[in-house]
Amino acid sequence: MNGSEIFGAWIAVFLTLGIFSYLYKDNPFYKISEHVFVGVSAGYWMAMAFWTQVQPNLFGRLWPTPEGEISGFLMRAWYGIYDFFGFILPSVFPDGGIDKGHGHDPHFMYILPFALGIMMLLSVSSKLSWLARLGIAYTVGMAAGLRAYAFLNSNVLGQIKGSAVSFVDMPFFSLTGVSVFNNLIILVGTITGLLYFYFSKEHSGTFGKVTRVGIYFLMISFGASFGFAVMGRISLLIGRFTDLITYGGPTYSYASIWLILLMIVLLAVWTFKGDKKVAS
Amino acid sequence: MDKFLDWIVRAGSLDRRYIFLVIALVVVLPLFFPIGLPIRPTNSSQDVYNAVEKLEAGDKALVSFEYGPSTKPEIHPMAVALLRHLFEKDVKVYITCLWPDGQFMAMEALELVAERQYNKVYGEDYVLLGYRPGAEAVIKGLVSNIRKVFTVDSQGNFLDDIPMMVGVNQVADFDYLFSASAGYPGTVEWVQYAADPTGVTMSTGTTSIQVNEVMPYVQSGQIVGILGGMPGAAEYESLIGQAGIGTSGMDAQSVAHLVIVGFIIFGNISFFVERRRSKKY
Repeated sequence: MNGSEIFGAWIAVFLTLGIFSYLYKDNPFYKISEHVFVGVSAGYWMAMAFWTQVQPNLFGRLWPTPEGEISGFLMRAWYGIYDFFGFILPSVFPDGGIDKGHGHDPHFMYILPFALGIMMLLSVSSKLSWLARLGIAYTVGMAAGLRAYAFLNSNVLGQIKGSAVSFVDMPFFSLTGVSVFNNLIILVGTITGLLYFYFSKEHSGTFGKVTRVGIYFLMISFGASFGFAVMGRISLLIGRFTDLITYGGPTYSYASIWLILLMIVLLAVWTFKGDKKVAS
Repeated sequence: MDKFLDWIVRAGSLDRRYIFLVIALVVVLPLFFPIGLPIRPTNSSQDVYNAVEKLEAGDKALVSFEYGPSTKPEIHPMAVALLRHLFEKDVKVYITCLWPDGQFMAMEALELVAERQYNKVYGEDYVLLGYRPGAEAVIKGLVSNIRKVFTVDSQGNFLDDIPMMVGVNQVADFDYLFSASAGYPGTVEWVQYAADPTGVTMSTGTTSIQVNEVMPYVQSGQIVGILGGMPGAAEYESLIGQAGIGTSGMDAQSVAHLVIVGFIIFGNISFFVERRRSKKY
């Protein structure tokens, strides 16, 4: 086990205990852990997106490594822009173009997403922020178009197809598997659940009774969601405790034990000082 | 009797920090002293197992890692178990990541299973294509042409230089698809943009909280089986006969569930007793 791994374990234990310490009450350890988490997540996500998408797939397509000498005025001017960028940021725009296997000719089509991306960044400027709307409009429009078909196909047609089953060769009752009884429950639950969200008619009389059945189905569904949520949280807790136990061993210089003790003492001092301040 | 009811009402308004402490204890103790509660696979876990069992040596499986350290305890054990099953059957494994940290989860799982346990060869038996941002746009791209999304793998090798990428151009070229998902983008997007349009058999492993959202796709047959959270992983481990992290956590999980159910029942009793008393006076 090398020093950096042990140091990493100590950091992991500190941050885990820092977050857990919120269960006692809001305190400086929790604040440190929370801010580190948010900052590191944002930085990490941005670095990954830039180096795996923007640099290779956008700049790599706009300025690929040319095959042989660059000829023609336009191409020389185009790669002149690249050289200028390269002068400012040589790690992003290395000498001689970006070789990511996209071929050797620039894909000028990618100027459009590049421009839209820059427009979105202009939202920080009060005078030019209106340009950001173009980028956002494109993204929203593209996403809506992309999703419309997929939702219709998978969530509407696929679900209708899946629900329209034949009762032939199906047992009437089965506790866990496919059965006539279970399908009838799905049918009743779907219809009454949908009717509950029909607000053009007052929920009274027979219609009210039917929608009340829908509420029961929704409540059972929410109950199941709650149960699964608890199960998930306990699994995550087990994961953290497993790591704390591992890091509490001699391999990691008893990181968990030392840090738990240190945190308890410091929290006690902090609470005691706080109480004294309130009293005075 | 009144004293007992008084105690119930008082205990109902117990400081929640004591409850946290009890939960912590019931989770930690079984980790130190395992009970060995039995694990019975559910139908949905069995369906995932059966789908993988149908694959033959040399078949191609696309496995997507869509989770990170925050959901590792739930998803990682099932990803490891699934990889073990796939490599055991000599299926060729292609890995993509729709989450940036999914790549590191995949690297960790591959090191453990492909390299250390099965001595598989990179580029011939498995390949880690890596992470691409873009969510459903990436899946759409993979469905039409993998090389438009990935020109190089996670190690910077050109796809055309990787032996097992020969003849693999789109999602339809795969025999099996598995999404190890902790949210968006994940299972739902794979169903909508890849499995449904191409008809490739797809299974999934999700966090517990996602099970309700994904279950309709399983019921309708759009997804073949689902592994739900840590219990799903433990069930899969028992099916392949290789106990792992999922199995070791199940004692703590089961005991914690029992205690939480106990708290819920007790809290309700306390609530009803208090309400009856306030109505009385």
